[in-house]
Amino acid sequence: MNIEPTELEKAVLLKVTGRMDAENAHEFEQACERWITHGTKHLIADLEGLQYVSSMGLRSFLSVAQKLQSASGSLILCGLHGLPRQVFEMTRLIGLFPVFETSQQALATL
Amino acid sequence: MKRLILPASAGSISALSEFVRGGAVGAGIAEDELAKLDLVLEEVLINVARYAYTPETGAVEVAYSQAGPRKLHVEIADFGRVFNPLEADPPDFSRGLADRPIGGLGVFLVRSMVDSIAYRREEDRNILSFTFPMDEAPGDD
Repeated sequence: MNIEPTELEKAVLLKVTGRMDAENAHEFEQACERWITHGTKHLIADLEGLQYVSSMGLRSFLSVAQKLQSASGSLILCGLHGLPRQVFEMTRLIGLFPVFETSQQALATL
Repeated sequence: MKRLILPASAGSISALSEFVRGGAVGAGIAEDELAKLDLVLEEVLINVARYAYTPETGAVEVAYSQAGPRKLHVEIADFGRVFNPLEADPPDFSRGLADRPIGGLGVFLVRSMVDSIAYRREEDRNILSFTFPMDEAPGDD
C-alpha cells in the first residue's frame, strides 16, 4: 500500500493505492492521525487505486472517521470500486461515510 | 487434500493465500473471485494468529480440494484453545458512525462470501471448513 498526501486549502487528500490488509492497515491510520494532530479537519481518501481492503482496513477507516467526527470534521471517500466497494457495501459502512465518485466532487462540498 | 502447515502468524498469511490461490486457479475459479478468496483467508487466518495460541505460538494448517466444477473446499485447522469464530455476534448495523463498533466485521465478511461454513473441534484441533466461491443467489445481480 502506498499513501500519497496532498495538502489542499480545505482538506488533505490522501491517495491510497495497492492493498490494505492486516499487516499494513495501521499505516493508513497513523498517517491520518498525524494530519488530525496537525489540525486537519477534513481528510479525503482517494481510493481509485485501492485494489483490496480487509476488515483490518475497515477498522482503520472507521476509527479515523470517528476521531474526525468528534472534532467536527469528516473522512470523505472517493473512487471506491471493485472489491473495496463491495466490502464497504456488505458491511453497510458505505452509509456512514460521505462517498463521492471523484475528489473534485468531494472538495466542492467543503 | 493438499496441505500446507506454517506458523500461525500474520506473516504467514500471504504464503498460505498463495497456496490456496494455486488450487483455485487449477480448479478454474474466475480471476475476479481470487481477491475475495484472499480476503476470506486473511480474515480467518488473522483470527487464528491472534487468538489460537496467545501468548504462546503454534501452527496453522490450510488444506484444500476441488469440491466440484470451479469450486474449492477449504479447511483451516489449528491446535490452539477451543475457539468457534462462528459464535461471534453479527455486527449491529443500526448504529451510526459515532457508536458503530470497530470490530466484528471479519467473520461477517467471511460468512457473506462462502458456502457451507462450519466449525468442528476434532481431538485437540479447531477446524473451520467452507466451500468457495458462494453460489450465486437466484435473482441476485
